[in-house]
Amino acid sequence: MAADPKTRFLVVDDFSTMRRIVRNLLKELGFTNVDEAEDGAIALQKLQNGGFEFVVTDWNMPNMDGLTLLQTIRATPTLKHLPVLMITAEAKKENIIAAAQAGASGYIVKPFTAGTLSEKLNKIFEKFGQA
Amino acid sequence: MSVSNDSSDLEALFDSIASDFQPGKPAAPPPAPVSAPPAKTGADSDDLQALFDSVAAVAATSAVVTSDVSERVPVVEDENWTQQEVVFNRIGHMARALHDTLGMLGYDKVLEKAVSALPDAKDRLAYIANLTEQAACRVLNATDIAGPLVEDVEARSRQLGETWDKVFANQLGPDEFRQLAIETRQFLRQQLPEKTAATHAQLTEIMMAQDFQDLTGQVIKKIVTLAQELESGLMGLLIEVLPEAKRTDEVTSLMNGPVVNAEGRTDIVVNQEQVDDLLDSLGF
Repeated sequence: MAADPKTRFLVVDDFSTMRRIVRNLLKELGFTNVDEAEDGAIALQKLQNGGFEFVVTDWNMPNMDGLTLLQTIRATPTLKHLPVLMITAEAKKENIIAAAQAGASGYIVKPFTAGTLSEKLNKIFEKFGQA
Repeated sequence: MSVSNDSSDLEALFDSIASDFQPGKPAAPPPAPVSAPPAKTGADSDDLQALFDSVAAVAATSAVVTSDVSERVPVVEDENWTQQEVVFNRIGHMARALHDTLGMLGYDKVLEKAVSALPDAKDRLAYIANLTEQAACRVLNATDIAGPLVEDVEARSRQLGETWDKVFANQLGPDEFRQLAIETRQFLRQQLPEKTAATHAQLTEIMMAQDFQDLTGQVIKKIVTLAQELESGLMGLLIEVLPEAKRTDEVTSLMNGPVVNAEGRTDIVVNQEQVDDLLDSLGF
């Protein structure tokens, strides 16, 4: 997958402010095809309806947290290829290890900068482009 | 356990029941210490029954204790009673110990104050959440408005600049040059100031949206004070009542939210670099 500006993103966070910020940053990076979900359960529903190529998710959310969402994505044949970037305030080492082991494509700790997001996205696009 | 200064409801209830069970004795016997030796089955079970009833009565906040307890509570056979008395005895002792300790240490007042302040604290926290959300929305709205304004100016400047480049390359006729001059003048005199003024208004809006900081700061300070009072009250109580049962088990969870104090901790990362290093070191 190349860094196609038409790449369809799903931004998952229980705070609308954070969703808006991530959406704006993605827009600045040229990605305007962005949808939002306010927790893992809603995200999973939207993902199962199809059409998404990239997931950016928070960790701590009601109903279904980001790690469970990631694990479910990786366990679902139709979704397991999706890149999943975690943007979260959880900063314990065991969190990062757990996310990596569950198959996260990237891990960003809040607060983060536009530069970090851009860097991680490029890295993920590169990696998935090779695959 | 101090019995002398005991003027509590519990003591009064206890006394009233105890005296009911000792009709032969004076109306106001000395308060029976709860820490008296555990009752033997049979003869002393009435005392236990009384103790249990008094505790149960307090628990149910029943103000009235009828004089004839034995009629209300069926007499249990000694055998069953022996097993239960241990439990009742313990509960009675614990209730008394807790009550006395709270009273003696003054924690009852501290806790009462703190607990009564909790609903207020909830409101205050909701207020903070509300104000910060409003501020975030105002700022994001302002950037949404200002963004296109700046983009317009940028695009129009570039377009005029490119046309002027043609002038300098002698590619423009007199009519086109005249038109460019008019457009440029119009841009400088009208469009540019209008858009920068509108952008400036949004910058002011962003600045003004920060006014929540003052309000939330004040509210947060009050909640911190409350939390400290509650913590010291509960901690003191725990140390007094459960000196041997201290729990030091660390809460292990993967959903802790932002790290508010990273000092001295080795189990967390403090920046993105450390995240990347950790993942690299693990081969991810």
